[in-house]
This record gives sequence, C-alpha cells and structure tokens, in this order.
Amino acid sequence: MIRRIIRFQEICQLGACLMLPIFFSAGLMGQDDGNVKSPSSTLHATHILGFESISKNANGDLSIQDQTLRFQTGEGSSAGVELKSIQDVFLGEEDKETGGTPMTVTRVAAPFGGGRVIGLFAHKKYDTVTLEYLDSDGGLHGAIFQLNKGLGQVLKTELEGRGVHVARAEGETNGLQQAGEKK
Amino acid sequence: MKANWKISSAVLMAAILTTHSELPPRLLAGTSSVAAEWSVQVEKVIPGDVNLEPAFRVAIYENLLDELAKTKQFNQVLPDGDRRATDVPHLLVLTTTVEEYTPGSEARRAVTTVSGATKLKVRGQLCTRTGEVVFDHVVDGNVRFFGGNLRATYNLARNLANAVKQAKLPDTSSLASNN
Repeated sequence: MIRRIIRFQEICQLGACLMLPIFFSAGLMGQDDGNVKSPSSTLHATHILGFESISKNANGDLSIQDQTLRFQTGEGSSAGVELKSIQDVFLGEEDKETGGTPMTVTRVAAPFGGGRVIGLFAHKKYDTVTLEYLDSDGGLHGAIFQLNKGLGQVLKTELEGRGVHVARAEGETNGLQQAGEKK
Repeated sequence: MKANWKISSAVLMAAILTTHSELPPRLLAGTSSVAAEWSVQVEKVIPGDVNLEPAFRVAIYENLLDELAKTKQFNQVLPDGDRRATDVPHLLVLTTTVEEYTPGSEARRAVTTVSGATKLKVRGQLCTRTGEVVFDHVVDGNVRFFGGNLRATYNLARNLANAVKQAKLPDTSSLASNN
C-alpha cells in the first residue's frame, strides 16, 4: 500500500516536471508569434493629407518597419515618418459616403427623391488616425489616415506599444479619472 | 506725314522706356512683390474655446501651409517650430484662432440637403517678430452639399490664403528696424 502511494507521488512529480517546460514553451511560442507578426503586419489605409510626396486620398498600406511608420501606395511611391519624431496620435471617427463620384452622380440624378434613399444607405463609418510629427528641421507637421472601422485601434495600440505618445479620447480620460476617484 | 508718325512713335517709345527704368521694380510689380520679400511661419492652430477635433486642427494647419505656398506671395512658408525661421530676415507669423465650429454630417447632408453642414470660422493674424499686427481677418470655410467634412478645412485655408494675397502688406523697409 505504502509502495503504491510512493509510486503515485513519483508519477505526479514526474508529470509536473514534464508539464512545466511545456507551459513555458507555449508561452514563448506565443511571444514569438506576436513579435514576428507586428513588424510585418500592414493595414490598408487612405492617405487623406500630410505626406508631401503622396497625393491626397491615395490608397495604400500602412506598416511599421525599422522604427518608421511607412505608407506605401499601390503605384509604389512611399513615404514614412520615424516613430521617435511622432509627437501625438489621435484616433477619430468619420462617416463617409461610399461609391465616390459615380455614387454622388447617381444620387443626384435619381428621380422622385430616390437619391435621398440611396444617401441613407450609401454611408460607412471609418476610423481616422491623426499624427503630429516633427520634420528634420524641427517643423511641426500633421498627417491624417482613414482606415476601416476597428483598424484605427489596432494601429493606435501598435504605436503605443512602441513608445509613441497616444492622446486619450475624452471618454477614456473621464473613465480613468472616475476609476481614480473610486479608488 | 509718314516721317512725323515714325518720329512721334519713337519719342513715345523712348519716353515709356525711360519712365519704366526709373520706377523701382517693387512699384511696377504691385503689392505681390512687396509681399514676396516677406517669409511666413504658420503657427499651430489655436482651438480657443471651441471643442475642435484634432483631425480638423491638423487639416487646417496643413492646408494653410499648402495654400499659402500656392499664392507665391512669400519667399518661404515655414511650419511651426522650424529652426530655419531664426535666420529669416523678414518674418511674419500667422496665428490662427478658431472662433466657431459646427460639426456636420455627410449622411445628413445627403439625405436632407438643408442640414448637416460643417461650418468653420477662424481669425487669422499676421504679426511681425515684435508683435505688430499687419493683417487681421476673419474667414470661414463651410461644406454645405458635396464632399467630406474635412473639405471645410481646405475651403477655409484657401479663403484665408486669398485674403492674405489681396491684403496690402507693409513694405519690409518701413519695418526693417523691427525685423
């Protein structure tokens, strides 16, 4: 009986010893995944204004490469800003008409007020990310990007994780203040 | 008769040429050349008491840099904080303060036509380094029918740049002691 108990204890200890490395390796693998994904991940965005070499309303991809936030258009032209020169990041929301000029023309030309009905449904909410950064001469500049809903938060978190100052939205600040007051 | 006409036209041409050469180039070119002696530094937009979205603040500032450069009224258009500004001899500083902002909605504009306009009103002031105000103007920029809300910032910057272009800026020599 005593032998059985000792054997059972040994098996448990052995099992625990085996499980520990497995848990740690899973954690390490998780971290590796995150590190590999973040620099190579790109977000589809529209450049509203700010980068001189990129035309306004150009579509492209935003990515973080070598401590630089880079925007590359479909045509191949690109522009970037070093993360250390970014002064502030603001997240906003914009409600925009989809379909561009053809949709606007259709909406205006539709008879019997049909355009208004089209106008009701031809809208989509987007996230806007506004950056304030300094150029090589210390001059202040700004850039605005439009991203699909939810992607703004992804970019904001990514930039915040790399030490860029991100401005808190009013609601977030109030929430933090209230939480502080409760404490 | 023909010879008389030739002589008179030659005299007239000579008179024109003489007058032209005696006039200082600044007077010939009008006010634009006076302004071209100035450089301008655009300061960060002051939201004032208005709750202005950061995207609008940044868009007004960037559009102002673009539109002022397009007017070709200034030697250089410098952004806020630019180190090169200290070496510029005749510098004006543009301060922009938001006085009114009505947030609009593109969806509401599309559905109702009469409501949902985005309205902006700002005061633009050009000051010398010593603080002398040489230009003070209130301009607005609205989007009433077509276009996104941020288009109001472009309209506003264009209106302010046009106002600066039409304004008579003082001669740099008259303010040389201050600059």
